[in-house]
Amino acid sequence: MTTTDPAATHATSTSTSASTSASATSTSASRGVTLVLLYVLAIAIALALSAALIAITGGPWRKVLTALLDGSFRRPGRWGDTLAESAPLLVVALGAIVSTRAGLVNIGQEGQLAVGAATATYVATHGGGPLVLLFALVAGVVGGAVWAGIAALLRYWRRVPEVITTLLLVFVASQGTGYLLTRTFLLLDDDPNKPNRVQTSAQVDADTRIGFIRVFGNEFPWSVVLAVVLAVVVAVMLSRSTWGFKLSVLGRNPRTAQRIGVPVVLAGAAALMISGAFAGLAGAAMLAAGTANYRYTPGFANNIGWEGLLVALVARNRPLVCIPVALVFGALRTGSGFLAATGVERSIVDVVRSLLVLALLVPPAVAAIQRRRVSPPPAPVATDEPVVAVAR
Amino acid sequence: MGFGGEGAGATALAPAVGLRGVTKRYGPVVACAGVDLELMPGEVHGILGENGAGKSTLMKILIGLVQPDEGSIELGGRDVVIHDPQTAAALGIGMVHQHLSLVEALTVWENVLLGDASRFDRSAARRQVMETAEHYGLEIDPDRRVGDLSAGLRQRVELIKCLRRDPKILILDEPTSVLTPGESEQLFTTLRDVVAAEQRAVALVSHKLAEILHATDRITIMRQGRVVERSRTVEATASSLATAMVGRHVNLRSSAAALGVTDLVDDERLRAEREAAAAAAAVAARPVVLDIDRARVVHDGVAVLDDLSIQVRAGEIVGVAGVEGNGQRELGDLLSSLVTLDSGSVVVNGRSARTGRAGCMAELGIGVIPEDRHDSGCVLDLSVAENLVLDRIGSVARLGLVDRKRMRARALELMREFDIQAAGPDAPFGSLSGGNQQRVVLARELGHDPTVLVAAQPTRGLDVGAIEYMSGRLRAAADSGIAVLLVSTELEEILELSDRIVVMSRGRVIGELDRAEATSERLGLLLGGVGDDHDRSRGDAA
Repeated sequence: MTTTDPAATHATSTSTSASTSASATSTSASRGVTLVLLYVLAIAIALALSAALIAITGGPWRKVLTALLDGSFRRPGRWGDTLAESAPLLVVALGAIVSTRAGLVNIGQEGQLAVGAATATYVATHGGGPLVLLFALVAGVVGGAVWAGIAALLRYWRRVPEVITTLLLVFVASQGTGYLLTRTFLLLDDDPNKPNRVQTSAQVDADTRIGFIRVFGNEFPWSVVLAVVLAVVVAVMLSRSTWGFKLSVLGRNPRTAQRIGVPVVLAGAAALMISGAFAGLAGAAMLAAGTANYRYTPGFANNIGWEGLLVALVARNRPLVCIPVALVFGALRTGSGFLAATGVERSIVDVVRSLLVLALLVPPAVAAIQRRRVSPPPAPVATDEPVVAVAR
Repeated sequence: MGFGGEGAGATALAPAVGLRGVTKRYGPVVACAGVDLELMPGEVHGILGENGAGKSTLMKILIGLVQPDEGSIELGGRDVVIHDPQTAAALGIGMVHQHLSLVEALTVWENVLLGDASRFDRSAARRQVMETAEHYGLEIDPDRRVGDLSAGLRQRVELIKCLRRDPKILILDEPTSVLTPGESEQLFTTLRDVVAAEQRAVALVSHKLAEILHATDRITIMRQGRVVERSRTVEATASSLATAMVGRHVNLRSSAAALGVTDLVDDERLRAEREAAAAAAAVAARPVVLDIDRARVVHDGVAVLDDLSIQVRAGEIVGVAGVEGNGQRELGDLLSSLVTLDSGSVVVNGRSARTGRAGCMAELGIGVIPEDRHDSGCVLDLSVAENLVLDRIGSVARLGLVDRKRMRARALELMREFDIQAAGPDAPFGSLSGGNQQRVVLARELGHDPTVLVAAQPTRGLDVGAIEYMSGRLRAAADSGIAVLLVSTELEEILELSDRIVVMSRGRVIGELDRAEATSERLGLLLGGVGDDHDRSRGDAA
């Protein structure tokens, strides 16, 4: 952590000095330039630190950036993989945005995704018929929603903060779905000819698998398209619909919401469950698109839930901005996989990836701090006002 | 004007503190423009001005919360720079803030000690608190929990906290806003003694003329960041002060609430009362629109609303008077669908409300101007237009999608009708001035013809012009047949607007007066807790 500190402080000082020189009339354009500069700086620092780390451990340090780019886009067939990796990140991020809009902090996507994937697996392996894929996806949605619903219930019935419950339910989900993999009547594969002894589910049938789109030698599942469509739908619903309007009133001022007829408990619980539903859908789609070879396995979620949350954070809760951000995070995942293949130790690769994720998180955080500092002192009459606002 | 010369005779001393040419800018806004101010030892100096006149900023500069852009501060003959409140305290400057800064969960002596860097010595601290209290006649039990004290006693704690440090210069910022008339009288008596006996300099910041006239020796009037007039209190009159403060001649009657003067307008009031009596007879024949019947709400074992019954007829303004913290907030919350009744009922036009269900009161046609508009009246981060259609978003939507054009059109219509000054319908609500924010709330609540309008502290924090406007609107609303429930801690406002007045204390109605029999004295007595003894209050008022 200490390694990133200089970057953060340096970035802060440049941005604040930039903003003061731009004075009160600083435009959003100059802010945008500052943000881009911050990104370049932060990523450069992260890459330099990564190279240093790899050099120390005796790896091919000159090739960090090349390997990352090769692995995510440049090598044949790689950008299809990147798209496939980005789709669940995007879907998870969209769900996170919905709950954030309602003023609720859901950080349990990792668990909701696992539960969604597990319920989808159950339906896929026990069900059949022409609509089994649809049923599996719906099962994922329901699983994720119910898992988030537990947090909603505790929040509105017992006033337990949802930040805590959603987080802790991640670990319950991980152990719980692990248990499902110990019983054949639940998820465990009962095939006696299984190649290894790792407990996994059976492979889902061909009719429960999502089809692939092939373009220029790359292939990606059509769930990628679904994710982009969902992003547009969420963007429109949040910014244009009466539901989105009420949700933002709820998130920004629950008492006003209650007064104008938005039922705080129901609407809040619904937002939290929708958020879980997105994570569950992401899990189900991952299963059906071939993650872990069409099986549910321990550790299936593989940080997609956490990173999806980061996508929403970096995109500052704007659904459409999540699309490119998810792509970058997806590229980091495929690129770092490739980096590992060049002979860099897996644990070092994880550190490299984390450094780059941090580099992506610092600029928006700095921008947010800067906005808070620069936020102009309230208008004329307001010389007395802030005191009132604070004191009440 | 006429400052230096005549005053010098009585107090030929150097000023305790002098501000010279103090200027403070916030971006393009000048909060203080070259202000000179001298506080003399042994005098109470009134600083009068509307909201936003710069008086609070000036005091914050003196206490070190704000740094001036230009100008200097001279203390005891030498220039000083006051970086922060700690420096100010070391220099002997103390301030009692408008909004009390006490920790409710702590006891009196703990609160007094708060912020001390020194060692924590319980018995010494208690002794010191008691000594200070006794010395100034501010009787208080140091072991009481502050949360259990009345507003008046809390103010007393705040004052002790300040006086314990033995300040040479004492600043009081709107000290009476939470006090009953009796309590504020006592406060000023204490203040007078402190000043006379110990040669302290006191700055009293207020927008209430009566208070300034009653308690000060000298007056400085500020307007738009500048000092517009200085005078000795004995030479000032309410109307001269009001004119200087507002910058134009004001109708003292309609602004009486804002300025805190009632006795000036008794003749006019008598006439108005006669008219009101006639009107009251007409109103009495109208149907009861809002019927709150034995409403009871218990929070943590305390009945915050205790069998409260209030009826409001169509076209009538019923004023709910009372000292802050006696259930007014809960009454407002109840009618904002924010509180569920434990027993009792709320009936609007014969329809019973399912209290506490989201939007139940709005559905029955109750519009509310909440006590704190930021709490339940608006969403600061949304635009003006969005705030104007907040509760009726469906009316500007098609197929569940908001039609921006219709929303803007509706907003522009309301902005014109209610004269809302904003950069446009898309301006963020938070960028509006307090008066315009309040107009947005008013416009929205009146915009869809409510049956009942609840106005809780509708003019708090507004300047004189905005108060005149608000009063006019409330009156007009009643004239158009809306039942208006006015909840206010400002007696003048209640007296000016109400057809009928109920007095609330500890969550129940302890007295009800017709407009004709209500005077500020009688109301004051009721508020002061002698309401149960009805005969006595009648006798005193006569």
